[in-house]
Amino acid sequence: MKSLPFLTIILLAPAICAIIMAFIPKEQVNPIKWLAATGTFISLAMSAYLYGVYDTAAGGLQFVERVPWIKDLGVSYFLAVDGISLPMLLLTNMIGFSAVFASWNLESRHREFFILLCLLISGVMGTFIAHDIFIFLLFYEVVVIPIYIMVIIWGSSKRVTKEYAGMKLTIYLLVGSAFLLVGIIALFVKSIPILGEPNMSFAALAQAGNQMSAFDQKWLFALMLIGFGSLISMWPFHSWSPDGYAGAPTAVSMIHAGVLKKIGGYGLIKIALFSLPLGAKFWAPYMAALGIAGVAYAAFAALAQKDLKYIVGYSSVSHMGYVMLAIGTVNVIGINGAVANMFAHGVMAALFFSAIGVIYEKTKTRWIPDLGGLARQMPLLAVSFMLAAFASLGLPGLIGFIPEFTIFIAGFKAFGGFAVIAIGGIVITALYALRAGANTLFGPPREEYNNLRDIRGAELVPLAVLGLVLIAGGLLPSLLFDMVNSGVEPLMNQLDNALKIGGLI
Amino acid sequence: MQMDFSVIIPEIAMVSLGVLVLILGLILPKKSLPRLGWFTSFSLIGILALVVLNWNNVGTVSGGLYLIDQFSQFFKVIFLTAAILVVFGSMAYVDKHLGGQAEYYSILVFSTLGMMVMASANDFITMYLGLELMTISFIVLVCFRRNDSESLEAGMKYVLLAGISSAVLLYGLSLIYGIAGTVLVVEVGMILAVQQSLPLLLVGVVMLVAGLGFKIAAVPFHMWAPDVYQGAPTPITSFLAVGSKMASFAILIRIFVLGMFGVSLSWGILMAILAGVTIIIGNLVAIPQTNIKRLMAYSGIAQAGYILVGMVTASQAGVKAIMFYGFIYIFAVVGVFTAISYYYNLTGSDEIKDYAGLSQRSPLMAATMVVSMLTMAGIPPFAGFVGKFYLFMTVVENYLWLAIIGLIMSMVSVYYYLMVVLVMYRDRPQDSSPIVVSLPVRMTLIFTMLVSVVLGVYPGPLSEIINKAALSFFMH
Amino acid sequence: MLSVWGAVLIFLIVGVIFGVGGMLAGYILAPRRKSAQKSIAYECGVDTIGPTWVQFRTSYFLYALLFVIFDVEIIYLYPWAIKFQSLGLFAFVEMIIFLAILVVGLWYAWKEGAFEWT
Repeated sequence: MKSLPFLTIILLAPAICAIIMAFIPKEQVNPIKWLAATGTFISLAMSAYLYGVYDTAAGGLQFVERVPWIKDLGVSYFLAVDGISLPMLLLTNMIGFSAVFASWNLESRHREFFILLCLLISGVMGTFIAHDIFIFLLFYEVVVIPIYIMVIIWGSSKRVTKEYAGMKLTIYLLVGSAFLLVGIIALFVKSIPILGEPNMSFAALAQAGNQMSAFDQKWLFALMLIGFGSLISMWPFHSWSPDGYAGAPTAVSMIHAGVLKKIGGYGLIKIALFSLPLGAKFWAPYMAALGIAGVAYAAFAALAQKDLKYIVGYSSVSHMGYVMLAIGTVNVIGINGAVANMFAHGVMAALFFSAIGVIYEKTKTRWIPDLGGLARQMPLLAVSFMLAAFASLGLPGLIGFIPEFTIFIAGFKAFGGFAVIAIGGIVITALYALRAGANTLFGPPREEYNNLRDIRGAELVPLAVLGLVLIAGGLLPSLLFDMVNSGVEPLMNQLDNALKIGGLI
Repeated sequence: MQMDFSVIIPEIAMVSLGVLVLILGLILPKKSLPRLGWFTSFSLIGILALVVLNWNNVGTVSGGLYLIDQFSQFFKVIFLTAAILVVFGSMAYVDKHLGGQAEYYSILVFSTLGMMVMASANDFITMYLGLELMTISFIVLVCFRRNDSESLEAGMKYVLLAGISSAVLLYGLSLIYGIAGTVLVVEVGMILAVQQSLPLLLVGVVMLVAGLGFKIAAVPFHMWAPDVYQGAPTPITSFLAVGSKMASFAILIRIFVLGMFGVSLSWGILMAILAGVTIIIGNLVAIPQTNIKRLMAYSGIAQAGYILVGMVTASQAGVKAIMFYGFIYIFAVVGVFTAISYYYNLTGSDEIKDYAGLSQRSPLMAATMVVSMLTMAGIPPFAGFVGKFYLFMTVVENYLWLAIIGLIMSMVSVYYYLMVVLVMYRDRPQDSSPIVVSLPVRMTLIFTMLVSVVLGVYPGPLSEIINKAALSFFMH
Repeated sequence: MLSVWGAVLIFLIVGVIFGVGGMLAGYILAPRRKSAQKSIAYECGVDTIGPTWVQFRTSYFLYALLFVIFDVEIIYLYPWAIKFQSLGLFAFVEMIIFLAILVVGLWYAWKEGAFEWT
């Protein structure tokens, strides 16, 4: 049965809307906004549909679309989803859709903004559904340039100028990706004699990578670790993240913290880990150690911040530390936890940033000492802020709890007492998240903010979409975990086999 | 002695076109001279069509001195495409700033002919002939702004350095001739393959690399490039950056990969070091530039370094990578320079700071510049990424350090390209009236941008063609 | 024994002796009397009057260029003329084309005023 090319439609819907927007006169603000909303909504609805009909019992790659693309490189236009990429796809579209509405009250240059935003969303989606490494790379760096332009035009200069923030973000990620590129090109070139033909699909590279010598696997993995690690803001390559988020406009912060970072973790799991098991085994303790260092360092750094965006920025570094720790365990539970935690953090970070965006838009400040008592004037805003904060500290019943719990279990299994440090991080997270909420939302209301209106209309969309998922994911964790597990388990079994054989050699 | 002239019909057509344009300039009334641009461009399109239609019509002329294979056909397509785009992009500029349309287009045609001869030359003498035809034409073109002291200075520098480099190159060729006793590249290859490595050979190789290094502006032979690029009329700068460079690469490939294949160990490492140094210096020195043409000159130097990477392994994959990169490089360079020269026409400035707010005055020009620059930086989904992928694939096995340097530096290059993007997109324009882009320029801009995007996303067919062309190169 | 190349060697040696010997003889035999006349750049001829860095009209250069072109053309024409009978029609056409291109150049120079003095 030849079904609709769902993934292509999902991928291209925002991009096509962006192209149409280019031909609308720039004074027509409302049609442009609604076009952006339509495009992202199509993608969101269809990816939700795919999430619903994906056969978790069967697992593996589904909704496959494969067309030969570049023959002499063995590239094919290979789109598919499995239990790891589908949640990420859904996450991207939820955040993308919310980001359009979070930018509803943009002041200037609407057309350019929404064109770039739609292209950005398409690009991010592409990385999650491509199963050919060349196509993956195409999308991987696509996202960098729209982000740069968006930061320098619509960003805000506080502690650092927006130009600095944008450039730091861009160059950091690009230099990281240079290492990644070298690693991937080397992996590909070495795979040709093993496979007997050039083939760039993930599966083929994994098959070839598994047969490489331990030495090759180690240095290839190291290169990829630098590349993906700097994208997931692995300590000590994290410093672009708080600065970058602080300078970026709300929508960019949401997408960047929510999904873009996750490409690093996703790539680390789907490409580096499964292709180079011996390398992964070798670097696993280091990854875990860096992850724990990141958790502890970023949590303390967040404590010291007074700018709301910096708090969330460091908090995201800290959460990604958990992901690194989880990947470092190299067992099924850990990888499940890593993927689930990326999903969970994506939702909460996006909600967090959208709430901060609203606060900044209305009060013109993000500086905590200048804020206070906003819950009186803007109760719905307070709801979304506190939902995100509670999820961030892992309150049971919200989406953050189960993934973190899973990671701790995996961490204990793999590293024992060492993982306690990471659990210590959660206490600090509670401290800064609650303190930020208390100082911003509660306490005596300030007179100068009396005339502020609560969020309404379009501004409610992020809260509605993301808040719903936040609660649903907490109450029904199996919705997420069954999916993730169906993707992770078969691949991990292969990995274990590869490790056993590798161990014998 | 009967020869098959059908294979060199494109060259004959080029000569006729060059002479015809000159004659038309003599007999046409002055006010209709601007139409010569249209005439030249459409004639060039016709000649390009001839080359493409005769794609498989290969053969030799003059007893193997002149060789038409798919390799040279492909390079001819590159040169002709570049020439067509340059003519389209330069019409407004020539009419406004230069005058002398007949001479301009005629000499442009002759320099293109020189490149075509270089691509097909199979012996040292013919190569040199083509090289000089191209170089002398360029000397005239570089100082075509006759009343501008900068242009004259650029012309003078170009004369001197072109002369020196030709001399060095010729000396190198004569040394190789001294060893091999023949000027035919293929025979040189066969003789050197069985020859022991001689000190004399090494000297010859170094001389050749130095002479051609000047032409492609590789570090440390690059210092003429920024001054000449800055002083020359902008359309000529772009043609210099693409045509002259790729033509020199054509003979570089011919001499080294075919003629010195047997001794590739002795020059492979030399090329690798040259490429690495060129990439680093070109990109780092580009960072502090404030004039857009100088910026592009240094970026062009870095690009020469990337293309050199394809030489290192002396393999079919390398040759193919160079051809692929060269093809996409035309569109990137011509795209940027067309926008630059059109903007210069309006504002009379090449300073980067004067590009403020271009994205609001002309989204098309700004977008083309962004796309073209990112193609040069090798950022997907633009064509440059695929090109770099091919290039670095060839060295990743044996020269890993070169791949790492190259890729990191190309990410660094994004920095200075983005500084231009910053000015164009962030700032508000002083004069916010929209720019109306004239038809030929608009066509050029849209076309180059489309090619950069399409080849980046779907390079399959082109790469198939180039594979075959690169294979034909080794068939002799 | 001297090989064929020995002749070249002898030729070289004689050549060097011939050149150097004359200068050496002059150096040894000639009397030396210094004077102001002798220290100027051109010993023979008339003293220069006024600055020597005068500018020439570009027309001279154009003439010189055109002369060189037609001078060089002769080199190609001579062998062709000698072998004219055996080369046949093909070479004739070829030479006509060659000359036609040169004539276009002459025409161009004429039209652009290269032969006008005023």
